[in-house]
Amino acid sequence: MNCQECHDFIDPYIDNELDIAAAIPFQQHLRDCSLCQQLLESRQALRALLNKLQLRFEVPDSLSRKIQSALPAATASARQRSGGRSVIPWFTIPLALAAALAVVFGLQFLNQRGMFAPSGGNALVEEVISCHVRSLLALHLLDVPSTDQHTVKPWFNGKLRYSPPVQDFTAQGFRLIGGRLDYLNGREVAALVYQRNKHIINLFVAPSESGRTEAVQSFAKDGYNVLHWDRDGFEFWAASDINKEELTAFADLEMKQA
Amino acid sequence: MNDEYTRARFETLMLPLMNDAYNMARWLMKNQEDAEDMVQESYLKAFRFFASFHEGTNCRAWLLQIIRNTCYSPLGARKLRQKEVPIEEEAGQVEDPSPLPPARLAKKATVEAVREAIEALPVEFREAIVLRELEGLSYKEISDVTRVPLGTVMSRLARGRHQLYLILSERKELGHL
Repeated sequence: MNCQECHDFIDPYIDNELDIAAAIPFQQHLRDCSLCQQLLESRQALRALLNKLQLRFEVPDSLSRKIQSALPAATASARQRSGGRSVIPWFTIPLALAAALAVVFGLQFLNQRGMFAPSGGNALVEEVISCHVRSLLALHLLDVPSTDQHTVKPWFNGKLRYSPPVQDFTAQGFRLIGGRLDYLNGREVAALVYQRNKHIINLFVAPSESGRTEAVQSFAKDGYNVLHWDRDGFEFWAASDINKEELTAFADLEMKQA
Repeated sequence: MNDEYTRARFETLMLPLMNDAYNMARWLMKNQEDAEDMVQESYLKAFRFFASFHEGTNCRAWLLQIIRNTCYSPLGARKLRQKEVPIEEEAGQVEDPSPLPPARLAKKATVEAVREAIEALPVEFREAIVLRELEGLSYKEISDVTRVPLGTVMSRLARGRHQLYLILSERKELGHL
């Protein structure tokens, strides 16, 4: 192999795209030719530099939202083109409204009675813990394994009726490792999964019933710690086997970033 | 196939790729505003063409190809306006690549400096480097997205990296590409 041929192989070589038949004479040539060796090293240095720096551009959240809201319009116009018509009879609309109002007032009533309130919510705490434990037992911890909050957040689009806030706290020692859908308190919720050393934290997020901002409340059972808080229209349940201080630090981070 | 099913499938497959789509558009257009417009337009196009998307197709390559096509029409117009000189024929060899001293890249190579250097590359080299180094695509995938043969992908990467190395080792001024 001469130097020109060798040069042509350097890029496929560092990209793992060189087939084995070509790799052997290539490596032989490199051993004997310091010039080609230098060219390879300069390429590897460049590669290392590009890998080291955070060169990617992150999609702005506003764009994600804009595109998602633009899409249903596309679906609606597709429906119009296909000639599909609404088949809901007119008289069902007031009925549906009445039913919706009944549900809303019913929920408010329950809320006042404390059925959703954490103080009366021991059953809910237990459910949060069993969700947490189940996620660790059933090899179903993650539907979307990713340490990138901008991958995890859009993954929930179309799976939930809301877009949960997703943050990464790697710098503070709580690494986002992914998310999944879970079922809590009779509804689908976003479960965000964080890792603290060898420990797993499940953070369940759902729209809050009250809409209030509530400080962190803590519970403990069977060696698990559970924290609950509300902010900006969402309620949060964090469950883990890490100690209460660490879990509180995690909750504080989540609230502070808001 | 009904609308809800199509929509759900589109969301599952395509929305998680928005970061890749935006990154690609941002590097091609070199500014945020144009990149956002291109991504939005591409997603709407992708949704319209989604019927032609078959199970087993590489989602990312499929979407990035749409992004690229969408970006290239305004880029082409921009090029004409600026009377940019087209890059030399692909057949050309890597310009004298041998006399590079090993690893003497600028110590002060910050994110901004490296981004600026990549942006200074001709678009064909730039996209090859972005797809390979930042998106991690294989040569075959890059060839699918950019619709050029594998050999061309290889030579664009080699030439792009060579130029990038020259800029970053401060032996080539940004304005002299």
